[in-house]
Amino acid sequence: MSVTKTSAWKALEEHAATMRHVHLKELFQQDPNRFQTYSMRNEQLLLDFSKQRITPETQSLLKTLADTCQLDTWKSRLLSGDAINTSENRPALHTALRQPQGSELLLDGHNIVDDVQANLAHMNDIVNRIHSGQWRGYSGLPIDTIVNIGVGGSDLGPYMSCRALSDAQLASGKKLNVHFVSSMDGSQIADLLDTLLPTSTLFILSSKSFTTIDTLSNANTAREWLRNASGASDDILNRRHFIGVSANASKMTEWGIPENSQLNFWDWTGGRYSMWSAIGLPIALRIGMSRFKEMLAGAHAMDEHFRTAPFETNLPTQLGMIGVWNINFLDIHAHAILPYDGRLSHLPAYLEQLEMESDGKSVSRQGKEVDYRTCPIIWGEVGPNAQHAFYQLLHQGTESVMCDFIAPARRYHDTDNADLQQQHTLTLANCLAQSRILALGDSVLENNESAPVHMRYRGNQPSTTVLMDELTPFSFGQLISLYEHKTFVQSVIWDINPFDQWGVELGKKMATNLLKPLMKETDGADLDGSSKGLLDTIHALQEVNA
Amino acid sequence: MKIAIWGQELTAWVAAGTLAHAGNDVRIVNDSTVQDPILRMGTNILNEPGLKDLICDEFAKGRLQFTTSGGATQFDIHMLCMNPSEFDAAKQIVSKLGKFTQNKLLIINQSLFGVGCTDELQGLLKKENNQIAAFLTENIAEGEALNNMRHPKAITLGCDNPWANMMIESLLRPFTRQLDQMLIMSTREAEFAKMATTGMLALRIGYINELANLAEQLDVNIDVIRQSMGADPRIGHHYLSPGCGFGGNSFSQSIKGLADLLSEKRNSQLLDTVLRENEKQKEQCFRKLWRHYKADISGLQIAVWGASFKPGSSSLDGAPSLKVIEAIIAQGATVRIHDPEALDNIERLYGGHPQVITCKDKYEALANTDALLILTEWDEYWSPDYEALLEQMHQPVIVDGRNVLSRDLLESLGFTYYGIGR
Repeated sequence: MSVTKTSAWKALEEHAATMRHVHLKELFQQDPNRFQTYSMRNEQLLLDFSKQRITPETQSLLKTLADTCQLDTWKSRLLSGDAINTSENRPALHTALRQPQGSELLLDGHNIVDDVQANLAHMNDIVNRIHSGQWRGYSGLPIDTIVNIGVGGSDLGPYMSCRALSDAQLASGKKLNVHFVSSMDGSQIADLLDTLLPTSTLFILSSKSFTTIDTLSNANTAREWLRNASGASDDILNRRHFIGVSANASKMTEWGIPENSQLNFWDWTGGRYSMWSAIGLPIALRIGMSRFKEMLAGAHAMDEHFRTAPFETNLPTQLGMIGVWNINFLDIHAHAILPYDGRLSHLPAYLEQLEMESDGKSVSRQGKEVDYRTCPIIWGEVGPNAQHAFYQLLHQGTESVMCDFIAPARRYHDTDNADLQQQHTLTLANCLAQSRILALGDSVLENNESAPVHMRYRGNQPSTTVLMDELTPFSFGQLISLYEHKTFVQSVIWDINPFDQWGVELGKKMATNLLKPLMKETDGADLDGSSKGLLDTIHALQEVNA
Repeated sequence: MKIAIWGQELTAWVAAGTLAHAGNDVRIVNDSTVQDPILRMGTNILNEPGLKDLICDEFAKGRLQFTTSGGATQFDIHMLCMNPSEFDAAKQIVSKLGKFTQNKLLIINQSLFGVGCTDELQGLLKKENNQIAAFLTENIAEGEALNNMRHPKAITLGCDNPWANMMIESLLRPFTRQLDQMLIMSTREAEFAKMATTGMLALRIGYINELANLAEQLDVNIDVIRQSMGADPRIGHHYLSPGCGFGGNSFSQSIKGLADLLSEKRNSQLLDTVLRENEKQKEQCFRKLWRHYKADISGLQIAVWGASFKPGSSSLDGAPSLKVIEAIIAQGATVRIHDPEALDNIERLYGGHPQVITCKDKYEALANTDALLILTEWDEYWSPDYEALLEQMHQPVIVDGRNVLSRDLLESLGFTYYGIGR
């Protein structure tokens, strides 16, 4: 039975019919203490939901919906390693990657925490060797530059995290340059290699399957570059200039990566949930292993909170359920991620993948087409920059948009740079100002009603503010884990499997099929008219240039 | 004359010994409970040829004694022989001395705190009462310190006070009979000149090392090149031997001081580059070993001859051996080290490490080894018993970081030989 047929859903629809006409400014007039009622904290994160269009009744109805959908059962199935990724017949155990040493999670009678810890120890060894300048290239010079080659989950997570935690660098880590290459067209790697020294550059090849064409073609370009520069044998280059991170050890070996340069993760780790695994090696190289473990500890703290905290104060649950309320009952289908901290500039792109690849689906776990909305369009940008771009639409457009404002309360407090401290104050002022206007509109001004209509702000755009004490590896781990679990909560209500991604497969296959007609090995007569037209035009243009 | 000497550097002991020997009444300031000069000197200074005997002798004769910092205030001539990092302490000392008396006072600063630092010390004194701070360049090299002090070729003195000049010249009279030049200039100029000289030497070494590395790639012998260069009277032969990098505390610190000034005031990276390349050069012998064994030396036994940063010294300060040992053990190989003077210092750092073995006999260090690395040009390494080498070593591979051996001879005996730039 579809969730829309349940009494819980219907009750929410009825409730929404009245709430749709209630403005946030009225809610604040009725209850000036909304912040006390709707803000909640866990460790270094505070979530303020008071600017969401909710009342105590909304929350109680959402709880009934969660109960109806057996959220608690699903939660424990997730955390205990049930094979809830049914289309691929495996569990989704990213939470095991951050379980502390000495704990236990049995999978087929085997404690996988031991495997995780063994892998962390191997990572630790690699990180120490590189940080101490004793991982040496073919010429004997120490490695001081890291290039991570990966795409999707093997790129976005480490890339985003290295930027986010740039202030947490260790003295020894500071010497390391860490670069990321993902695009398959070769332009990224070619430009980068021009600026690097082959003698001291190490490549991390990250690919869950180790068959991803984007990654392997970049890897081959890198090896060719080393061959030309060094004249060294492939054996030496493979041993000294490549580390492989994959769930497919035999493919790594086949490519030439020796066993002690291989880091493993497991098929129960989804690509977009993998930055906690060896895929996070670039993060550990940037910030050091102990800081990396602080990040894992932050995520684990959120896992425990998710597992144990009651519905009313459970951060990921509330974030997910209020999202469901906005999407399915208030008809809001766009979601903006707005970090007010430049270090989180890649977070929107990361969450785009996390949420849209997980919940961007329309078939239920029962194999039925769903009759309700699932994941909305998610996009974002560093807030102060976005203010000069798409905030116009948020304030005065026709779309309803829900927003997440994310900001650290403290920054630069341990420096004596007053100018930077002032800049942070200014950033926070902007963050608070924007969420305030979005919620309340121009009612925050006196005489607002006398303004011409094109200068009016109607408000009532709901938002959540995620306030971090400060941006540390720990709070950052909490933040990402928060969104992972939020995504899961919504998948439970929508009755979809968030851990597969069949929607990206056909494109890969079709691209392979199109190689032949592009290289004129076949004529492409079976293509549709548009594709055939583009193909012919490309061929014509290429001939002109040749 | 009565002189108080402040500081724990080699210069302090050399000045104390030679000045006492010349008849002066010398006190070394020592507030610690260690009142035995030998214990107070420390290993590196004790190993300076001739110094220990001289100091013991002068202590026995009573011309050299310890005093406390309080007792030192009774003296009107003071020498500062301190580490470049001790400028704050120097300021405290001078300030106290200036406050204590209205009389004449002569502070002879031999510590290279930086350009303008002696002027700063002068600012703490009453110049109008002839309380003067002068800068006297120290020109002693470890291993030859006593000789350098007794027979200087040139002396650079930064001082513009006639009374102070007269005093310093008289103090140095016993050592200046064969002096070529006594240069007198402002204190700032003298400090700058000292830094400039050290910087020039570093540039020469850095340059010849770069050329040597290039010569290897172009298949040219650097020995021939440097002989040709040295024959040019504008250049000369000094400091033109390529090798596996320079070390030494005072030399490096003084270059670092100038490098920082150049970088800060001139945005010039010239000396920074020299220093950075020198750090790389220290691992040059390791890299040759690494490439010989195709980037895998795990499980091998490697002999190292020479650990001190230069012959005649037991000091490991900035020595290439330290970087090479670290690199070798990090790769899972074992290192067997010989050095005529520095083994105690190695033991202090690595005692008990399963991959670091010290050997009192240089041939014993070779037992069953896969390569020999020569890192310090001690005299006894210039002409070893090659038969013994061949017999002891498992693989006859020699990496000669100081170019002390003959490539042709070694190759004819069946060794694989790597030098620096040849």
